Amino acid sequence: MDCASLNPFPKAAAFRRPPAEVMRLARMGCAHPSRLSFLRTLLRRMMDQGWEFDRPVWDVDDAGVGRAVYRAIGPDRIYSLVAFAHDLPDEMRSDRVIATAWDATFAMFDGEPSDVDLDRLQANVPLQEAGRISQKELSLSRANRSVRLFEHVVDRLATGDQPNIDDVAAVGYLMRTTAVYGSGKFGAADLATVMDRPELNVPFQVEMLSVWLTRQFTVDIVEHLARVRGGARAARIDPAIRKSLGVGNSTGLGMAPFLVRHPILLNNWMMAREEALARVRAQPEAASNAVCEFRAALSDARENAQKWSSTHPIQVTKLDALRSDLDNISGYSAHWPTSVTDHPWDALWRWGEAHLSLEGQEALLALMLEPHGHLVDGLAECMVADERASFRLDGSMTVDALRQRLEQSYDWALTIDFDLPDNAARFWYVSEEKLEPRIGFRFEEDGADLEQPLCIARLAKDLHSALQEWSKEAPVASFLLAHPEHRFMVRRVQATERHPYAEVRDNLIAADMLPIDLMRCKLAFFGASRFDPRSDKWVRISLFQDLPYPSDLSPEAWA
Amino acid sequence: MIGSVDDPEPNDPTRSGPPLLQADGAWLSHNEIEQLCLKAARGAGMSWGLAEEAGFAAAWLARRDVDGPAAILSQITHADARSWHEICPEVTAGQVTARDGQELCPIALGTVLCDRGNNFIGSKQEPLLSVGPITYPVLLLPFLSDISKLCALSISLEWSGRRVFVGPNGEVTGDIPALESEPSIHAQIKVGSGPKPANANALRAFFVSEDTLSGLNRYALRTTVPASEMSRAGAGADDAD
Repeated sequence: MDCASLNPFPKAAAFRRPPAEVMRLARMGCAHPSRLSFLRTLLRRMMDQGWEFDRPVWDVDDAGVGRAVYRAIGPDRIYSLVAFAHDLPDEMRSDRVIATAWDATFAMFDGEPSDVDLDRLQANVPLQEAGRISQKELSLSRANRSVRLFEHVVDRLATGDQPNIDDVAAVGYLMRTTAVYGSGKFGAADLATVMDRPELNVPFQVEMLSVWLTRQFTVDIVEHLARVRGGARAARIDPAIRKSLGVGNSTGLGMAPFLVRHPILLNNWMMAREEALARVRAQPEAASNAVCEFRAALSDARENAQKWSSTHPIQVTKLDALRSDLDNISGYSAHWPTSVTDHPWDALWRWGEAHLSLEGQEALLALMLEPHGHLVDGLAECMVADERASFRLDGSMTVDALRQRLEQSYDWALTIDFDLPDNAARFWYVSEEKLEPRIGFRFEEDGADLEQPLCIARLAKDLHSALQEWSKEAPVASFLLAHPEHRFMVRRVQATERHPYAEVRDNLIAADMLPIDLMRCKLAFFGASRFDPRSDKWVRISLFQDLPYPSDLSPEAWA
Repeated sequence: MIGSVDDPEPNDPTRSGPPLLQADGAWLSHNEIEQLCLKAARGAGMSWGLAEEAGFAAAWLARRDVDGPAAILSQITHADARSWHEICPEVTAGQVTARDGQELCPIALGTVLCDRGNNFIGSKQEPLLSVGPITYPVLLLPFLSDISKLCALSISLEWSGRRVFVGPNGEVTGDIPALESEPSIHAQIKVGSGPKPANANALRAFFVSEDTLSGLNRYALRTTVPASEMSRAGAGADDAD
């Protein structure tokens, strides 16, 4: 969709941040979830449309083994999360891809599954990658218990007590998903075949719905086990504690290349967010109710920043800066806006740019969007991408025009000296043993000859060099006939011509590149909170923390 | 708990895993077919950009119930270890051949035709191009379809008295089984009258035989790097807390 043609605020363009500022890894690695995050869009749609939720199947025995079905009933269609609960010995519990068993496994069924469907899924879903699902399914996922918290909660509830709130806060979830496979994986339906449905025409809606229904399952299964153990004495979990629990997720390096492999999608996500910020800044006045909502969101953010912990040195430093920045925003905004402030939201933003760290600036962005749903929520519809539409390249473009395009949009890449070892120190590859992306050290490890094309800056520079040898008027088609090795990058340069936020404007093979910066950006768009790096290559996060449950929206089904 | 060094990455939510082989094959989504054929073509030596074209072609055919994955496997097996110089199309007036009398790669040919867009389009019913010999010519259809869309005219591929049409809306009709069975043909590409409507994009999955799957996986594996101790060290940890 063309966001520009839908723009009710053409004046906003003047307030938009340039790609050279936005598309830097250091800033992307400070991204915060916002009301445009995919899980927020999902919840907004379901609440606005009055979706209903229930659990028509709960066939789980006293050992916690069995199956359940959670339905999300929308105005036009029903989606069913089919859950399989397992009794997993502790020694088999692993978050890794090589794991072969999990505490719970799930598939999102497109419609309402029959008993035959459930039996078919029971034979495959618990096997995850080693099974197959069908075109009736939209996702495949699994989750493991938090050993620290799960047993504690069951124990306490069984005796009629509530869990220790410090323990709950320290973990933040009962179970964590270790993989959620969407679009077309393991035989599931291709997203392209269902994208004509409005509820799926926003990125990652199936995955977000799956995780949200899984969150309900995590509470249902602890209460079930507590009842088995404690009988009549058993308590339900306290609503406030329940609300504070999200679904955990651990995410490895495999997620990092996604944003680089999908430049048009990345552009559309970034463009929507930047347009949202620009629309808010372009407001000539700040309505008093919007200012109140902003202050409420700021208060929540300060509370969240206190609860957000990490032991990773980089994140510890960032969290210190964030807490200090939020205090500063609070101090500044206590006297903002004054009666004479012109474009007060823009004034607030400019103050932030001058006084806050990157963490604080990106947090401020999310806070400024919060009271402006009427201005920005429609932009969620602009965040999908038809990548096929820009697949076919234009061979009639001249070599000179292509060179100029490179010099305009890839100027940041053309100045990098890749002969310096630090500028080419890493290489991305796919590991033979697990068929997943990894990053290696070029000068110390074998395998650089099998490098994946994620080194965009160097590919751009190589293309630029090769073009110098060619006549300016020659068509790109002739150039590519002689140089098929540049086809990948030529396609990319042309496809991103109308997509200014398509490229991460940093060297992704530099010695000091941090893969977690790419992951933070993507996870913020999902709506993940409490980003907690466990190394520079993998992270823990929480999803849906402090948000409602299906049973909050349809309480009668869980009475 | 810190994980052992032999398995550093906790998980990867974005990868497409290896499809499980059933007794005789597996139903693959279009996404899986495209990714597998892309990797296999790259493993067989195509540039990344051409390998993307191979993935596109396989998925386009599978969506129309034509065995694109098998055709890709046949083609990359046939062209394995042949240099670009050998398969590179040579374009002259009204004719495309490979150098030194070699056989044309349909992916390379299709790509060249698409890059030149409607520059080739002549007057209606006049031969557009003579091409050949071209191996596994069914792989040319996805590219002709894209050109048809670009110039909003149907296009026919004709050989030995047989024809297949592609239309601007992704339709394909004609003697497709015959084309699928041809390992190599000389053909003419023409701007033709419109094909009869065919059911394009109706299929949601395609059954790929075990032979094709294992063959493609073998090539795809060539793009991967054996694990090293270096890459594993400190890369991550497993914690079950």
